[in-house]
Amino acid sequence: MRGKGLRFTLAVALIAGMLAGCSQGGNKEGSSSATASDHSGKTEQVTLKVGIFDRGNAPAGYTATENYWTDYVQKNFGDPNNIKVEFVPIPRTDASDKVNVMMSSGDAPDVVFANTSPLTAYGYAKDGGLLPLDDLIEQYGPNLKKYLGPALDSGKVDGVQYSIPGRRVNTGKYENLIRQDWLDKLGLPMPKTTEEVYQTLKAFKEKDPGQTGGGVIPLGFSLTPASIEPIVWSFIEDGLTDEQRYTLSESLGYPLLLPGHKEAVRFLNKLYNEGLMSPDFSLDKDEKQVFQDVMTGKVGMYSDNLGNSFNATPGIAKVLTQNVPGAKLVPTDPYTNNAGKHLKPEYDPTGFFLMVPAASKRGVEAIKYLDWMAQPDVLNTIMNGIEGEDYTLTDGVPYRIESEETSKRMFNANDIAMITQGQDFGSDEKNWAAAAAAVPKEFRDYVVEAYKMSMTDTIRYANFTSPIEAENKYIPTLQDKYDELIVKSIMTKPGDFDKTYDDLLKDYMASGGDAIKQERTEAYAAMKK
Amino acid sequence: MKSLRLYLYRNWQLYALLILPLAFFLVFKYGPMYGILIAFQDYNLFKGVTGSEWVGLDVFREVFGMSGFYEALRNTFMLNLLDLLVSFPAPIVLALMLNELAGRRFKKFAQTVLYLPHFLSWVIIGGIMFQVFATKTGIVNLLLGRFGIDPVPFLTDKYAWLVTYLAVGVWQSAGWGTIIYLAAITGVNSELYEAASVDGAGRLRRMWSVTLPGIRPTIVMLLILKIGEIVQIGFDRPYVLGNVSVRDFSEVISTFVYKTGIQTAQYSIATAVGLFQAVVGIVLLLLANAIAKKITDNGVL
Repeated sequence: MRGKGLRFTLAVALIAGMLAGCSQGGNKEGSSSATASDHSGKTEQVTLKVGIFDRGNAPAGYTATENYWTDYVQKNFGDPNNIKVEFVPIPRTDASDKVNVMMSSGDAPDVVFANTSPLTAYGYAKDGGLLPLDDLIEQYGPNLKKYLGPALDSGKVDGVQYSIPGRRVNTGKYENLIRQDWLDKLGLPMPKTTEEVYQTLKAFKEKDPGQTGGGVIPLGFSLTPASIEPIVWSFIEDGLTDEQRYTLSESLGYPLLLPGHKEAVRFLNKLYNEGLMSPDFSLDKDEKQVFQDVMTGKVGMYSDNLGNSFNATPGIAKVLTQNVPGAKLVPTDPYTNNAGKHLKPEYDPTGFFLMVPAASKRGVEAIKYLDWMAQPDVLNTIMNGIEGEDYTLTDGVPYRIESEETSKRMFNANDIAMITQGQDFGSDEKNWAAAAAAVPKEFRDYVVEAYKMSMTDTIRYANFTSPIEAENKYIPTLQDKYDELIVKSIMTKPGDFDKTYDDLLKDYMASGGDAIKQERTEAYAAMKK
Repeated sequence: MKSLRLYLYRNWQLYALLILPLAFFLVFKYGPMYGILIAFQDYNLFKGVTGSEWVGLDVFREVFGMSGFYEALRNTFMLNLLDLLVSFPAPIVLALMLNELAGRRFKKFAQTVLYLPHFLSWVIIGGIMFQVFATKTGIVNLLLGRFGIDPVPFLTDKYAWLVTYLAVGVWQSAGWGTIIYLAAITGVNSELYEAASVDGAGRLRRMWSVTLPGIRPTIVMLLILKIGEIVQIGFDRPYVLGNVSVRDFSEVISTFVYKTGIQTAQYSIATAVGLFQAVVGIVLLLLANAIAKKITDNGVL
């Protein structure tokens, strides 16, 4: 009876939304007041609702919606413009589901976002749920336009600006990490090819350099892109043609249809059957188990989202060195494809897609808000805090001051500055140094190295300028199908591998994979003309 | 006519008391049911029920063409049937055993301990289960290892998972289920026990020939309710306990609806599946009730 429960919830949310609408309507004069509000004080205050990620990590005294930066926004943007800025929490986990419910109940904030996929905005736009933003940006968003530049184009559907893509400064995606102290203990060199990785993992298992007493996990693995992507991409064969890249990509993030993928899974199947990787990886959907195993010194090698392992939270490297004295976790880039290249995926230079619901009456204020944020000094302040209080400048790179007040204050600064992921200091080296500046001192060199590695031999997903309709429809189902394919193919006996893999691939193609491939082939032909 | 007016005049307060509960049902149970219409529309999130296009039975045709739907339906029946076989008799056996306990205090204590798992949410139980049954580090497999038995993939092999799923279900619900049976047992005339023991019946004989027939109507009633629910399955238990490697068995109607409805935003399909489930549920309930009436002369409806 889930369906009924859902409808009930929606109905309640809808009613709640209507009530909220009424109570606001009481003190407002409607949307026409927006332009007039330039002459501040003349009109009544309006409320702009802005979504904000709630990661459940607010320090004592703060919440995701009421903290140093929400006050800052109100004081510096809200008060001068006679706007009350109200932050609406969006839970970071399940953000897409939650935003779906918000949109369907008409309860979404005026600035809303769910994920970094253009498909979400496309789906809403197609159903008529988003406000076209071209004129508004033209009129109220000069700074925003300047800041985002041509990147704005990826927020267009059929030539109409339906969403505002945030920028992404560092496009590296993952890092591979290895226990240098284990290698040293066994007198092994740093592995440089996939074959050497296999030998190293075997040595880790047989000689157990960490003295785990049989609990050693040579390769830490989870059912997340951070574990799967670095390995499967590294097997993709060299010399892909444009046609292959365009027609065989499925917006999944995984290169399922590209040549080499099957061999990658075969490799993982071998590791699994020889006991060289996490035995219960299929249960680990949030990397928690892997992190725990790494921190307790059981794991020899694993991969992770770029920079995560050295960050102060969850502090994987930090806790590991506390638990296991002498442990040394270093970045490495060992996997090679058939041409000896270290192929790996790279992010599009876009971050989160910001949208304004069609039902919103605050389109003008929403753009004004984003435009205010796009001013260089405002953005710099939000991302780094106050100079002298929160950071010191060295070579143009802000180094965070390690104080309790600063870490408390900055806990969600990045979630306020949604128009960008990371700050651009003009060059890769500076950007990497800036990223490293945020982690504890002893790990900074590793972070720079990891960032550098994340950008060697990268390959980007080939996307068309307009979204593929079939992807909008099938991708969520296919994500599940892909997980199933990965899990079952890895866990089957080596003798059954081909049959298992082929059967699951067939199922995948029948469940929408074929439809996407066909539409992509047509779109490619059209593009070539 | 006159007697009716007199009746109403005398008893109108009683009917007035009904207004609130009735209003509750109308507003919160029947009101939201207009949402069923979504199953017959090409539902558009932003146009709502009034603005979306009507497509007749197209959505149902699409649903019945989905292989995932049949799998979910099959698993729902399978998990519920197995659950019926395993979890339904468990509280009866437990209640019979508790009833035979002599020490009052120990009996109360045992009952309370047995109830407790019922109050844990499935999320917590799932967390415990993942810890206890993990392949390498779980306590069960560590113990098996002591006896030289290779680790059993309780969570990742689908047949082993089925056993885990059912066992956890019994652990969670058996104690709570005894409450009704224990209450029924206290209603059995104690003279029957005395008569039975005078006739030379031992403990087991008395359980079999006095207690069990005494609570037979209760058992039948609960069985009917269970059968009526066989097409419905709770969301949290399969969702929390299931995982990708056992999806062949753990994907049931409720999780299927969640995935298509909330995650994929295909509201029409999710609603159609939910509606189908409800209709089959009602049919099964009526059927079970009719059979029960034939067998025992008392149904529940």
